[in-house]
Amino acid sequence: MNQFALEVENLVKVYATRGKDPVRAVDGMNFAVTRGTIFGLLGPNGAGKSTLLRVLTTLTRPTEGTARILGCDVVKKPLEVRKRICSVIQETAAELFLSVKDNLLTYARFQSLGNRVASQRAEQLIEEFQLCDVAERKVQDLSGGFRRRVQVAKLFMVESPVMFLDEFSTGMDPILKRQVMSRLRAEAENGRTIILTTQILSEAEELCDDILIIDKGRQIARGDLDTLKQLSQGVFEIAMTFDRLPEAVESEIATLKPIRTLIEGNTVEVALKTEEGKVMEIVNGLARNRHVLRVEVRGASLEDIFVELTTQNRKERS
Amino acid sequence: MSSLSAVVYRETKIRMTNLTFIFWDVFFPLGYMLIFGVGVNAALGAPAGLSGVDYNSFFLAGVLAMASFAIASNTSWSFFLDRDNGIFYEMLTYPMSRSEYLLGKVIFNVFIAILQTALTLLAGYLLLRIHIRWETLPMLLIGMALGTAGWFFFYSIFALKTKRNDVFNSVTSIFYFVFLFASSMFYPLDPLPGWFRITALINPITWQIDWLRYMSVGIGSLRIVLAEGAAFLIFSSVCFFYAVRCLQEQE
Repeated sequence: MNQFALEVENLVKVYATRGKDPVRAVDGMNFAVTRGTIFGLLGPNGAGKSTLLRVLTTLTRPTEGTARILGCDVVKKPLEVRKRICSVIQETAAELFLSVKDNLLTYARFQSLGNRVASQRAEQLIEEFQLCDVAERKVQDLSGGFRRRVQVAKLFMVESPVMFLDEFSTGMDPILKRQVMSRLRAEAENGRTIILTTQILSEAEELCDDILIIDKGRQIARGDLDTLKQLSQGVFEIAMTFDRLPEAVESEIATLKPIRTLIEGNTVEVALKTEEGKVMEIVNGLARNRHVLRVEVRGASLEDIFVELTTQNRKERS
Repeated sequence: MSSLSAVVYRETKIRMTNLTFIFWDVFFPLGYMLIFGVGVNAALGAPAGLSGVDYNSFFLAGVLAMASFAIASNTSWSFFLDRDNGIFYEMLTYPMSRSEYLLGKVIFNVFIAILQTALTLLAGYLLLRIHIRWETLPMLLIGMALGTAGWFFFYSIFALKTKRNDVFNSVTSIFYFVFLFASSMFYPLDPLPGWFRITALINPITWQIDWLRYMSVGIGSLRIVLAEGAAFLIFSSVCFFYAVRCLQEQE
C-alpha cells in the first residue's frame, strides 16, 4: 500500500485574466503527505492555498503536473478521488432551506451511508456540536457561527480517509474550536489524513504534524514545527511590559529592523533576527532608564518563521 | 445510482420546504388555460385553418409545453440559490459525477411536470370538454418528461455560464418572450408571415408543442411530429453534454 495519502508533482495552475498577464496561482509544487498526518498549508492571502485545495478536491483542473489522492489522479479519476475525500470549503456552505438534522442526513445520503447509521451519527453530532436546541430549525434562521458548525459537523458523519478543511475555524467560538481540534487530532490518530489551510498560525502550531509554507504559488518551506524553527534560527521574540509606554521606544525598535512589532498598551512585542549573544544587549538597551514590569525572551514562533520566510521570498522574487 | 437518488432526495426535500414553488409550477399554466384559453375561445372561437377544433383543444399542448418550460427555468435558477448558499462548490466535491448531479436535479421536476400534466388533462377533459386521445397518453408523458429535462439542460448552460442572478433573470425573461411567442404555442403557424413561420419552425419549443398536440388531441401529421421529436432529442442531448461541460468548467 502506498504510504502517501497525497502526492503532488510539478503542479501548476494558471488563471487567464482578460487584458492582463495570466496569474500563476500554483507555480510548480512538489510534495507528498503521509497517511494519518495533519498537514497544514500556510500562506498569506493570495498565496495559492485555496487554489491548491480546489485542484486537490477536483473542483479545478490543473494547467500542468499531477496530483493523486490515495493513488487516484485528480484529473483522470475525479470520481474515485471524490469517493475518498470530504471537504469544508472556505465559504460557509449549508443547505439553508433544510433543518440542521436534514443537512446532516442529506449529506449522509450523498456519502452512501445507511439510514440507521446516518440517524445515529446525526444525533451524536448534534449533541457534540451543541446543536440540540436548533436541530429542527432551518439553517437559514441560524447565525453564521451555527451554520459553520453544521458545515464542519457534516465531516464527522463520514469516514472518508482524506479530509480537506479550508480555514475551518472561521466564525467558530474558541470553546468549540478547541473541541473540533481535539476531534481532528483523534481522527488523525485513527488513520485519517487531514489537510488544512489556516491563517491562524497558533492553530497550525498546535495541530499540524507537517507544515508547508507557500507564497505566490510556490513552496517556501516544508517540515514539522521543529524543522521550520531550524530554518529560522536566530529569530527571537522579545516581549516587554513597561509601567508606561516610553515615548521613543517605537523609533528605537525601528533601528533594530524587526521582523514583526506589536505594541499593545504598555507591552511591546518584537520579533527580530540577531545573534544569540546580542539578545540580552537589546533587552538592556530597551530597558535602560525605564521601569520594566516584565521581560520575556523566547525562540521564534510559527508566526515569526512565517513572516520571515514570506518576506524573504518576496524580496528574492522582486 | 445512489448519488442520483441522493440528488433527487435533496431536491425533493428542498422543494417540499417551499410549496409556493410547486404551487406555481403546477397551477400557473392551469390558470393560463382556464382564463386566457377560455377567454380567447369565447371571443375568437376556432383558430384559423383548423376546422373542427376549438381554441381550448388547440391551446392544451401549449399550456403543457409552457409548464415544461417554466419548471425547467425555475429548476435551473436553483443553481443561483446553491451558489448563494455556498453549497454549490462543496457539492461538486461530493462523490458523484457532474452528469449525475444534473440528472438528479431534473428528475424531481419531471415528476412535477407529470403531475402538472395529469391535472391539466383532467381539467381540460372535465371542465372544457376537450376530447383527449388517452391511447397516446404514454407518448404525451414522455414528451413532457423529455421536454422538461431538455429545457432544464438548455437553461443550465446559461445558469452555469452566468454568474449574476440579475443577468440570468433578464436572459430568462427574453427567452420566455422569444421562445413562447415565436412558436405554435398560441396560434397555428399557417396564417403567419413567412419569416415568422420559419422562426417558429426552427424553435425547439414548436417541436415539443407539435408532439404534445398530436399525442393529446391528434392535431398534426405523425411523420412531421416524429421528425420534430427526433430533432428535440438531438437538441436535448447537445444541451445536456454542453451543460455537463459547463459544470466541469466551474472554478
